[in-house]
Amino acid sequence: MSSSLIEVQREEFSILDSWLKAREFIVVGKSVRRVDSLEKVLGRARYVEDYLVEGMTYARIVKSSVPHGLIESISPGEASSHPDFIDLITAEDVPGQNQVGYYISDQPALAEGKVRFHGEPVALVVARKPESAELLRSMVEVRVKPLPAVFDPLEAMKDQVIIHEEVGSNVVIKTHIGKGDAEKALEESDYVVENEYRMGYQDHAYIEPEGVLAIPKDGEYTVIAPAQYPHLAQLISARVLGVPQSKVRVIQPMIGGAFGGKDDMGPILAAQAVVAAHKTGKPVLLTYSREDSFTSHCKRDPAIIYYKSGASKEGRLTAVQVRIIFDAGAYANRGPFTLWRATAHASGPYEVPNVDSRGFLVYTNKVYQGSFRGFGNPQVQFAAERQMDELAEKLGIDPLEFRLMNILKPGSRTCTNQLLDHSVGIGEALRRVAEASGWREKRRRYGRIENGKARGIGVACAWHGISTSRGVPDWCNAYINVAKDGSVSVYTGIVEFGQGSHTGILQIVSEALGIPVEKINLIGGTSDAPDTGATHGSRGLSFGGTAALIAATKIRKAVQRVAARSFGCSPDDVELRDGWVYCRRDPEKRMRWEEAVKACYLQGEEMSATGYFFMPKERFDEKKGQGQAYVVFSYMAIITEVEVDVETGLTRVLKVWPALCAGRIINPELAKGQVDGAILQGLGYMLLEEIKVEDGRILNPAFTDYLVPTIMDLPEIMDPIYVEDYFKYGPMGAKGLAEMALIPMAPAIGNAIKHAVGVSPREVPYPAEKLYMDLRRVRGG
Amino acid sequence: MSMLEYRRFSSLEDALRFLSERPDAKIVAGGTDLVVQMRMGKLKPSTVADIRGIMELRGIRESDEGLEIGALTTIEEIRESSLVERLAPPLWEAAQEFATWQIRNMGTIGGNLCNASPAADTAPPLMVLGARVRTARLGGGRTIPIEEFFRGPGETILEKGELLTHVHIPRPGDSEGHAFQRLGRRVAHILSIVSAAAAVGVEDGRIGWVRVALGSVAPTPVRARTVERELTGKTPSRDLIKSASEKVLNDIKPISDVRASAEYRRAMSVVLVRRVLEKALRRAGA
Amino acid sequence: MRIRFTLNGRRVEVDAPPHITLLELLRNYLRTTGVKRGCETGECGACTILMDGKPVNSCLILAPMAEGAEIVTVEGLAEDGRLHPIQEAFIEENALQCGYCTPGFLITAKALLDRVPEPSVELIKDALTGNICRCGAYRMIISAVLRASEKMRTTSASQG
Repeated sequence: MSSSLIEVQREEFSILDSWLKAREFIVVGKSVRRVDSLEKVLGRARYVEDYLVEGMTYARIVKSSVPHGLIESISPGEASSHPDFIDLITAEDVPGQNQVGYYISDQPALAEGKVRFHGEPVALVVARKPESAELLRSMVEVRVKPLPAVFDPLEAMKDQVIIHEEVGSNVVIKTHIGKGDAEKALEESDYVVENEYRMGYQDHAYIEPEGVLAIPKDGEYTVIAPAQYPHLAQLISARVLGVPQSKVRVIQPMIGGAFGGKDDMGPILAAQAVVAAHKTGKPVLLTYSREDSFTSHCKRDPAIIYYKSGASKEGRLTAVQVRIIFDAGAYANRGPFTLWRATAHASGPYEVPNVDSRGFLVYTNKVYQGSFRGFGNPQVQFAAERQMDELAEKLGIDPLEFRLMNILKPGSRTCTNQLLDHSVGIGEALRRVAEASGWREKRRRYGRIENGKARGIGVACAWHGISTSRGVPDWCNAYINVAKDGSVSVYTGIVEFGQGSHTGILQIVSEALGIPVEKINLIGGTSDAPDTGATHGSRGLSFGGTAALIAATKIRKAVQRVAARSFGCSPDDVELRDGWVYCRRDPEKRMRWEEAVKACYLQGEEMSATGYFFMPKERFDEKKGQGQAYVVFSYMAIITEVEVDVETGLTRVLKVWPALCAGRIINPELAKGQVDGAILQGLGYMLLEEIKVEDGRILNPAFTDYLVPTIMDLPEIMDPIYVEDYFKYGPMGAKGLAEMALIPMAPAIGNAIKHAVGVSPREVPYPAEKLYMDLRRVRGG
Repeated sequence: MSMLEYRRFSSLEDALRFLSERPDAKIVAGGTDLVVQMRMGKLKPSTVADIRGIMELRGIRESDEGLEIGALTTIEEIRESSLVERLAPPLWEAAQEFATWQIRNMGTIGGNLCNASPAADTAPPLMVLGARVRTARLGGGRTIPIEEFFRGPGETILEKGELLTHVHIPRPGDSEGHAFQRLGRRVAHILSIVSAAAAVGVEDGRIGWVRVALGSVAPTPVRARTVERELTGKTPSRDLIKSASEKVLNDIKPISDVRASAEYRRAMSVVLVRRVLEKALRRAGA
Repeated sequence: MRIRFTLNGRRVEVDAPPHITLLELLRNYLRTTGVKRGCETGECGACTILMDGKPVNSCLILAPMAEGAEIVTVEGLAEDGRLHPIQEAFIEENALQCGYCTPGFLITAKALLDRVPEPSVELIKDALTGNICRCGAYRMIISAVLRASEKMRTTSASQG
């Protein structure tokens, strides 16, 4: 870490350190109810489609029905004579740069010259009435001259069909991390397991489909966008409009689920909608139908993973060698980062002396991948954790014991040779979850077929770097203003989409200022707040909370100074609690919070503060593939119990025991909600959710055949075991948690299936039919 | 969608007269399939005839012969009916697992049959119960066995201007047993990839007669006549049922689609036929 | 086409084209935006309303089919500014995350409690099968329905 950073942020470090050492909390760590629930149960919460503005118009995308081709013409056709038709918007109408690529500039807001996947937006149709937009888009005439297309990433790597001429190859990016000599170590290992894993798409399937409302006024634009990073939606909107970023204002509506998907789709739809608003001069509500959402919004990256790992006869991991191919689809989007994350987590949360992990991001003519809870990691943890069970079996060691023999602990070095100096609770998590589930006994008793059914119990672990990787600059910020009457406004760029970050941030500010949550108003998810980075990578409450804590503590200190003068005590002895400011040594000396604020105004203490914090990062050497991959990791251990119907292949997950190491838990009840939700999405990922593609076309773009878990699929989920392995730069020691439980869920089910019936799942999803076919092969017949 | 003509009817005769003049009109009973098909652009009707007000097409009645169910009876009404539970057990079982509460509240038995989806879960139970359907049209209707009702996916024997009005189910005898089972890719709220129903009459410890029917494994719901022949007149045993169930492969022609492969459907047909036969025989006291 | 029905206890008359769905009618013509658009194929339950006391998917109903019906949406659950017990219970049990599916769940749960005052967990699951919560709050939703059931019985007992 650079010494200048330490110097500049001396105050911030000391604030974080003092809260880390605090022993007693009033609000933090308590199950405060979410602050948005009243509006939500009344049906008054306003999601983007619930906004009504004067003169509003309604847009839908017109999509390519060809997976790869040259656009010859786009014309409104019969739509132009319909009374509800307003306009047809194409790439030609983009006033600025027609570019929404996240990291690589390869993706247009509306297709230009070429289409690269079936379902790609080529135009927008704008209608007077919401019910007409759907009809009008079916009348638009798009002529495309088909080109040869490529759908299989292994085929695409041969570069016989080039999808992006400007890139020159379908291999967009290569990644690498490693240490030691994996090749040699594997040769010398007593036991080696080598397998190929295939992972499919997963759709976010948020119940609210995508939408954005763009309102133009006097050369400025207000964009109501369910985005996960308001400033990114602002930046990209401004880019396509060709106006300064400051001319665009992004406001978050209530968001009907995001799970990462709206990190990509928020900015992309914002770009599409602002172009239409610019051209028509009218407010435009662009919405995707459910079918559009399936055909045209990003998905979890499909992957092919070759995994070879070795162990000594004493049960120590010796080496892992991993090759990861991520199917990017038509655009690179988040692929460079999901792939890097997969590459850097390939070893699993274990000490492995020799590692060689390499990734390839490959274009194909299919819908593109994007950000999704877990962000590249669920794919590789599936492989890593299935390997652990297979190695343990070869060694003849209990798979949970085998994990414990190799688990990361404080002082361990990771697969990128990063030293973990603190906050590594996974070993304890694993031990506790084993005990809670009755692991040993069930491991002995299950695995027998009785009346056509068999039970199994399986374990899997995960680790997950919080926030952005490597040296990618990472900061957080918040702005707090205390009004003269003592009421408090908190501005944060962190977005609330159901996870509860806003409630958590309010708890942190409430704790620091000693006033009830009800006195604090949080304005979040808006570009009016300071740029806080994105609400992704499980950083919303951990990093967003850090900024809020720093800002609030600056105010707290001002109040302490003023009160200390009045009480005649040291500022350190001034306590803020329950709306009172008092002297700890002499509690008779006290004043109301409001009086203290008034005194601050009179005595020249600033009653507003920002909480900027630049995350200190150590070096990552890209050439060697070594160094600090992430500032900190959260960890998860999960045990699942399944029952397999051996005649049909149907698997039911009966019970789940989660254990989470995410530092301090700010709100246990809301944390539990995140764990439950991630478990169900992980269950869906493994057993139910399958996107079927034929010649680049998605065959099941509806909930009829894309199956997400219903309430009938709910297993008995135990309350999470929290191992609070505090993180020094998190608020009161909190780390990220919302993604965690999804990551080990698929392999935990896979390992339980293996235990139950002896087949070894190497594919995700692994629905009934696949299990049945594998079982038939294994048992013959 | 250009302006749709929407007509409501509360008298069967008025509806039939209208349908004879406007044979292309689409009928709304519950609407659950029609609206989805309109939204997907598969149907673009210019006229819709809403027959939900025709009261004589609603309700479940016990008659001398057995059970009479009006075509507009919702699946939820069937699910809640103790009459159906007693007199048409496999139909009642099918209603238990049918879609969702919301859809069952709108969807009707007439709609489920007239849409003629190969996956219509009410069809196999009605087939094994020996049900007949009654139709009406101007100048008289007809009564035909349910098995003759379906012609192909989405196709029935109904002619233009003809409405399905009632389903008749004969009263089951004393030593009969029935069962229905379905298999989907999720435990509930899922289209079947195979469904099977069985009815069996036991006489002197032997299988006097048996009916087996399946859904989702052929262009229409089908009877498994080979299985039935294999069993009739024989003394039930585990081995007999097992070998007879395997014969179902002669009776079905499943396809591969987004939900399942033909191969899996074949294998699951054998499993489900065996399961419903075992259950039906158990219930028949064999 | 003129369509007349009762919406949350209030008589309404509205002119709308007959091909639109009841969901579109409620949202776009009557601004009853608590009813949510999720899938428009009757799969997710976000658009659930009560029609003559029964939970139905408003996305699968043509607008004219509502003629003469009594429609209740989430906006009609609270009475005289007092939350319905099921709404209170959802808040108390944290039975929601993003909240988009919540109106549908509340409506279906109310219909269940109106019919069965003391539902078992199995019956609750059975009734709520047609409402999807992608955030995965099912466990808390079940607790909330149980809690609401208790509240409603306590209230009616104290009134009786």
